Amino acid sequence: MSESTPPSPDSGAGALIARSLRWLLAIATVAAVAWSFGEVGARIWRNYRAESKGITLTILHWGNAAEDQIVQHLCDRYCAEHPNVRIVRINRIDPGNMSAALKTMLAAGTPPDLFYLQPSDLPQMAELKLIRPVDDYVDRDLKAGKADWFKDFYPILLKAWRYDAARERVGEGPMYGLPKDFTTSVFYVNVDLFNKAGVPVPYGGWTWDQFEADMKKITALSDRPEYKDEPIYGGFLQIWPDSLRNIIWTYGGDYFGPGGFRDVTLDKPPAQDAMDMIVRMRLHEKTVYNPTGIAKDGGQEFINGHIGCIGPIGRWMVPTYKDITSFRWDCVPVPYKTKHASMMYLTAWSMSAATPHPDECYELMKFLCGQEGAAMQARAGLAIPPLQSVANSPDFLSPPGLPPHNAKAFLDAIPFTPLQQVPKQPEWNQILTDDVARSLQMGKVTPMVTAQQVRDDWLQQLDSPLEKGNWGPMRWNVIVSATAAIFVTIVTLLWWRARREKLGALDKVQERAGWTFIAPWLIGFLALTLGPMIVSLLLSFTKWTGMQTLGHAQCVGVANYAQLLSAARPTFVQSLRVTAYFVILGVPVTQIAALAVALLMNSRVRGIEVFRTIYFVPSVVGSVTLAVLWLQIFNNDYGILNHILRPFAHLLGTTPPDWFGTDAKVWAIPAFVIMGLWGVGSGMILYLAGLKGIPSSLYEAAIVDGAGPLRKFWNVTLPMLSPLIFYNLVMGIIGSFQVFTQAYVMTGGGPDNDTLFYVLHLYRQAFEFHNMGFASALAWVLFVIVLLLTVLVFRGSKDLVYYEGLKA
Amino acid sequence: MTTISQPPQPSEAVAQPRPAIAATGAAAVLPRRGGVSTGPSPKDKLLIYLLLAVGSIAFLIPFYFVLNGSVKSDADVQAGNFISLPKSIHDVRWSNYPRALAPDKMDFWPALANTVVITTLCVVGQIISCSLVGFGFARFSFRGRKILFMVMLSTMMLPAQVTMIPVFILFRYLHMVDTFWPLIIPSWLASPFFVFMFRQFFAQIPEELIEAARMDGASNWRIYWQIMMPLCGPVIAIVAIYTFLGTWNDFMGPLIYLNSPSNRTLTLALNAFKGQYGTSDANLLMAGTVVCMLPCLILFFALQKYFVESIAMTGSKS
Repeated sequence: MSESTPPSPDSGAGALIARSLRWLLAIATVAAVAWSFGEVGARIWRNYRAESKGITLTILHWGNAAEDQIVQHLCDRYCAEHPNVRIVRINRIDPGNMSAALKTMLAAGTPPDLFYLQPSDLPQMAELKLIRPVDDYVDRDLKAGKADWFKDFYPILLKAWRYDAARERVGEGPMYGLPKDFTTSVFYVNVDLFNKAGVPVPYGGWTWDQFEADMKKITALSDRPEYKDEPIYGGFLQIWPDSLRNIIWTYGGDYFGPGGFRDVTLDKPPAQDAMDMIVRMRLHEKTVYNPTGIAKDGGQEFINGHIGCIGPIGRWMVPTYKDITSFRWDCVPVPYKTKHASMMYLTAWSMSAATPHPDECYELMKFLCGQEGAAMQARAGLAIPPLQSVANSPDFLSPPGLPPHNAKAFLDAIPFTPLQQVPKQPEWNQILTDDVARSLQMGKVTPMVTAQQVRDDWLQQLDSPLEKGNWGPMRWNVIVSATAAIFVTIVTLLWWRARREKLGALDKVQERAGWTFIAPWLIGFLALTLGPMIVSLLLSFTKWTGMQTLGHAQCVGVANYAQLLSAARPTFVQSLRVTAYFVILGVPVTQIAALAVALLMNSRVRGIEVFRTIYFVPSVVGSVTLAVLWLQIFNNDYGILNHILRPFAHLLGTTPPDWFGTDAKVWAIPAFVIMGLWGVGSGMILYLAGLKGIPSSLYEAAIVDGAGPLRKFWNVTLPMLSPLIFYNLVMGIIGSFQVFTQAYVMTGGGPDNDTLFYVLHLYRQAFEFHNMGFASALAWVLFVIVLLLTVLVFRGSKDLVYYEGLKA
Repeated sequence: MTTISQPPQPSEAVAQPRPAIAATGAAAVLPRRGGVSTGPSPKDKLLIYLLLAVGSIAFLIPFYFVLNGSVKSDADVQAGNFISLPKSIHDVRWSNYPRALAPDKMDFWPALANTVVITTLCVVGQIISCSLVGFGFARFSFRGRKILFMVMLSTMMLPAQVTMIPVFILFRYLHMVDTFWPLIIPSWLASPFFVFMFRQFFAQIPEELIEAARMDGASNWRIYWQIMMPLCGPVIAIVAIYTFLGTWNDFMGPLIYLNSPSNRTLTLALNAFKGQYGTSDANLLMAGTVVCMLPCLILFFALQKYFVESIAMTGSKS
């Protein structure tokens, strides 16, 4: 780097400071690198040492800081008593992340020994035999009379972890885990708002009719002068799949009828009545808050004191709400129409079927689910302890760290919690969430249409050849041998042809040296590009979860591609639409902006270097950071952007867009483009370099010909830059098709899939739904699209690009 | 996954093309060039400054928000109050920084060590492998060179996602998932774009120089190491910066390959702020963000002369 000397600072003192700063930086860098390698090296060494003695158990869980500390404490206690056991603890913060991590670890062939299991994962994992039943151990303890702890569990919890894979029913069959904790659902109420509106807090329960009337009264508080800036809503109804099911239960209905998972009963009167009620209150009477933007949700508004009640949700909000000081809150039962019902959310500690130490795993499991942990969890207010003795103790009912509240509401709901039957296909939740949002959140269709859509989409999923077909295994040995044979033949042929040509000694040396020098790329190309491309093509003809070894892949022919045009068509088309919108809008805008800024930067004025730096700086910020930052800026209520736009919008008689909320269909993609403009600096630098490369003689000639600035730009700059513009265009298109991080961090594809970029869709299929084969098909379709587009751009640009500048 | 078969991008935010430097590399072959020869008139100058200033505000204001938000309370940030400065010096919550970096939040220090190790190895690997391959393509005539070079360039058009899954499977079979290797190895196997840059640069170096060295009995390796490498400082700087930024900010790669908390990189640690129920601790997140982008900013300021100038200079250097 020392070769290209920067323009030397003029004064001696300045040079000294600059030089010493540079030295300081160099020393700091070296020190940081040395320390990092030391740190990482020491850790690897420690792990290596620890692995070599005793038993190592890896456990995977989720949880906030409080839960993290509890699990850590329990592990420390256990290890103190069992010196031969070492525990590696992995906390993935939230259930969704943990589930993805778990599946990835299973795919890697290195599953954790113990992990949190959720009911939604139970069917698939039991069917694939990834988790190990614990009945034999429990029976042993029962026979030995050492199972008082076991009898202390709530019986319904023990039942909830049984699963019969053959009949696809929860509550029967072997038991796949020990209950870690659980919670029933309740409503949280803002007691102050209830009092102000003159509504009694319904500790003894309430009907939905009462609920609706109460919501009206509380919403009416908005008319009071003290609330004129912040409207009050009576309540907030959670419509996650589980919460919605809870509400439907209270109307006497369910998602599925007696006919099993094919018998979707959302169109039956109970479910319809429930959904009508939600639509009425959320969208028509507006007495129930309808959050649409991404940065502001109902939970936050409850904390802000603008919402009378929120539910049906579980006990997990208590640690958050305990810090509320501006009002008093409490827990009341879920309202009902025909019968009381509460949703049970559970977590179990479960054991991997692949663990080499089942005995130790069981002992650790027992300890983690035991008295001590349960009491600690209860005191933190995280959930209901699964042990009856702890649940009915002061640890749960009046824990010291929490404000006094009606914790008994959770226990009272236990008799009203049915066992939830869930289909093993993870697509069910996705279909339900997507379709339901359209009616209950957006109000685009009626609940009846939603019910039919859900049923159609779900049955199409179940009946798709991919799901139903009885496929044979992929014959990898044949395929691999054939591929290898073809490869060897080609290489031999080439080599043989090369041998026939006579080469001089010098040429031979050149040849050998050349191949040696390009070897790194060649290895990378074969191992990381060509090979994977072939494998990905092969995988696109298989059905494979990625949770088991490749040998379990089934050969499905072109069924994955057929799926794209049938059951998976809506999301596929949607992701293409979103991505195309982004490419068509984003590529020209970004390129024009980059070129414009570069022209500005090319002007000869004093201090231009400083501006160059300022404009480039946003490009060095990582995309996660960027995404988080822009989330705040685009917030429809609080964000700075709408703050600025509001007066202008009012002039036009409208309001600024709810970027990632109700207006997402139109405005979410422009929002991403605006974000992209901020990183225009790196494109600017490239154009700037191009501008510097244009010979000044051309401009001089143009001036002699009497050309003005516009003509100079049009007749000299543009043609000379055209190869660069063209190249950037191609790379811009390719890059735009691969947008992932911003959407993953900011919107997760929502709302209503309005930001479901193609690659995000692919990632979710591969790593969240674990349809590796289907995801490979998606990848190949993307490849073909990009290839076609590139060819098209090449064709179309032939006459427009002036290559003179680059001929040399 | 930007590290695989694709040169890392400085920022994924825009589908910004990396390549134009390539074009400059080619332009470098041409005789000396300059910009516009006449300086702008005072009236134009005023206009230019005005435009530049307005643009600067737009480009800098988000930084102000992050900095400001990083010293406010969570409630303030949640309510969007990061436009106004804290009311008094006592309201400035410096404690957000230690809180954000603490083991129960970001667990900053291990994540930093991991990121530095990965980034260092990637930068070194990219410089060595790309210059080797670039030298090979530029200075040796061997059969298949043209075709292979074309193949290499065309792989730049391949979306990384096509190979993402099989590459994952490959590393899984090598038992390298949850280690740093999947993130490091690809950069030791040369990225096409950087190879292209090195090739363009090496191709300009006069043949006489190499001939003379050969006469003195220097081997190809010595020519590469003692003659070629010392000459290509600007290219090394560009490759180093782009690789550094790409790796430091890489999200997808660590997300897929790293599981254990002790292996987390900074981007993963930042993402962990996104709790189960939406982003709380937004103020801490911003504090973490400031700390994470600090090295990038320092590096850029330290090397920006090399960076901006060397891109521009490649045009005038012969």
